[in-house]
Amino acid sequence: MTASRISLGVVGVVAFAALFVPPFLPWTHSAIDWDAVRAPLFSPGHLFGTDSVGRDLLARTLVGTRITLAVALAAALVALVIGTAWGAIAGWVGGRTDEIMMRIVDGLYALPFMFVVILLMVVFGRNIVLVFIGIGAVEWLTMARVVRGQVIALKQRPFVTAAEAAGAPPSRILTGHILPNVAGVALAYLLLTVPQVVMVESFLSFLGLGVQEPLTSLGILVKEGADDMDIQPHALLIPGGVLVLVIVCLTIAGERLRDRLSQ
Amino acid sequence: MGALLLRRLATAIPTLLGVVILSFVLMRLAPGGPFDGERALDEDTRAALDAAYGLDLPLGEQIALYLGRLIRGDFGPSLVYRDFTVSELIAQGLPVSLTIGGLALLLACALGIGGGLWAAVRAGRWQDEAIMGLATLLTALPVFVTGPLFVLIFALDLGWLPVSGWEPGSPSHLVLPVVALSLPFAGAIAKLTRAGLARALNEDHVRTARARGLAERQVIARHALRPALVPVASYLGPAAAGLLTGAVIIETVFALPGLGRYFVQGALNRDYPLVLGVVTLYAGLIILFNLVADLIYGWLDPRMRAE
Repeated sequence: MTASRISLGVVGVVAFAALFVPPFLPWTHSAIDWDAVRAPLFSPGHLFGTDSVGRDLLARTLVGTRITLAVALAAALVALVIGTAWGAIAGWVGGRTDEIMMRIVDGLYALPFMFVVILLMVVFGRNIVLVFIGIGAVEWLTMARVVRGQVIALKQRPFVTAAEAAGAPPSRILTGHILPNVAGVALAYLLLTVPQVVMVESFLSFLGLGVQEPLTSLGILVKEGADDMDIQPHALLIPGGVLVLVIVCLTIAGERLRDRLSQ
Repeated sequence: MGALLLRRLATAIPTLLGVVILSFVLMRLAPGGPFDGERALDEDTRAALDAAYGLDLPLGEQIALYLGRLIRGDFGPSLVYRDFTVSELIAQGLPVSLTIGGLALLLACALGIGGGLWAAVRAGRWQDEAIMGLATLLTALPVFVTGPLFVLIFALDLGWLPVSGWEPGSPSHLVLPVVALSLPFAGAIAKLTRAGLARALNEDHVRTARARGLAERQVIARHALRPALVPVASYLGPAAAGLLTGAVIIETVFALPGLGRYFVQGALNRDYPLVLGVVTLYAGLIILFNLVADLIYGWLDPRMRAE
C-alpha cells in the first residue's frame, strides 16, 4: 500500500510540475537562446542546460511531460470507454453474442498493434488528436476482457437476482448495479493502461510519427537527446529518466491496486 | 490437439485476410499517393503510372488482384525502391530482423525463467524482493531509452562494442541490440514465472511429490516447473508481437538493415505494397507464434490437450 502511495505521489509531483511550472520559467519550450547553445547542466537561467539549438531543456522536459501525460490520459480514457462498453455488453448479453464479441477481441489481440497504429498515423496525417484516438482504439482489448469477466461474475450475485425480481429493467441493472461494482477493477486497469500508452506514444514520437514540432513530448526529447548524446549525455538522460520514472510509478500503483482488488 | 490446431487455423485465416483487407483499404483512403512529389506530374504521366501499378482499377478489383498474387508469394513491386520487388526487400531484411528478434527472445526466456525461478525459491526473502523489483523496472524500460543509453555507455564511453551497424559473421555487432531488445521481455517473463511457480507449488500433484519425500529441488524441477511455465507460454504470442515492434526501434537506433526500417521508411514514403507486405508478413508471423504457443501449452500441461 505504501509503495503504491509513494508511486502515485511521485507521478502527482511530476504532473503538477509539468502543468504549473512552465509559465514561471524564463524561457518557453520553443524559444531559442542564441547565447547559450548546448549549455551544460546548472547554467545560469538554464537549470538543465539547453539542446543543440539553444532551447531550454527544463522547459522542454516539463512541456514534453505534460503532452505525454495528456495524450496518455486521453487515450487511456478512450480505451476505458470502448473496453468497458464492449466487455459489459458481451458479459451481460452472453451466449452467441458474447462468443462472437470475444472472438473479435482474440483476433485483434493477434494483430501487430503498433503497425496498425503506424498505418493510422500515416493514413490520417500526424495529428495529435488521432494519436490518442488511434492508441486508445487498440489498447481497449485487455479492459474488455477484464470487464467481461467481472460482469459475468457479478451477474450471478444475489443482489442482481434481487433487482431482477423487483422488476428492474436490464439496462438499469447493468448501469445501476453492475457497472458501479466494476469501477474499482476498471480503475486499476486504467492505471495500468496509462503507462502502456505513454510507451506507445513515445515510441511513435521517437520514430517521428507521433507528436509533431513545435509541440514536444518525452519521445521526441529522447530522440533529440539520443542524436546529441555523444556531446551532452544529459539531453538523453533527463527526459529518458522522467519517462522511466512515470512508467515505473504508474505500473507499480496499478499492479498493487489490481492485486488488492482481486484478493 | 489436432482439433484445437484446426480450430485455431480456422480463426487465423479470416484474421489474416481481415488484416490485409483493412490495411489495403486504409492505405487507399489516405489523401496523397506515392507519386505526389515536389513537382506535379502531368495528367498523362500520372494516368500511365496509375495504370502500370493497377491503381486505376476499382478498389474491390485491386484487393482481389493483390490477394491473388499474395497466395503465390508475390508481394508486388515496391513503389519507392523502383528496382526491387517487395519480396526481394523482405528477403533482404527478414533474416536480420529474425536473428535479432530470435536471439532476444531466447535471452529473455533464459534470464526471465532463471530469475523468476530464483525469486520463487527464495520467496519472501530479500533476493525475491530485489529480483521482482528489478523485473518491474525492466518491463518499464522502453527500448528507445535503453538502446541509446547502451550505445553511450558500452560503445562510446567504454569502447567495448561497436556503436551500430551490421556485419555478417560479427557477433559483437549483435550484443547491444539483442540485450537492449530482450530486457523488458526478460522482466515480464520473470514475473510470470515467479507467479506461475508460486501457484504450481500449491497444486495437488506437488503435494504428493513432497509427501513422497522428494527434495525441494526435485519437486520444483520435476513436478512444479512445467505447469508453472504455462503462463509464460501464453505470453509468447504477445511477446513475439512486442519483439517485432521493438525491433523497429532497435533497427533504427543501431542502423541495422532489417525489415522494421523498411517498414518505417515505407510508411513515411507511402510505399503501399511495401507497408502492406510487411504488415501481412508480421501478422502471419504473430499468428504462427500463437499456434506454436498453443502446442507448447499442451506439452507443458497435459490437461490442456483434452480440451
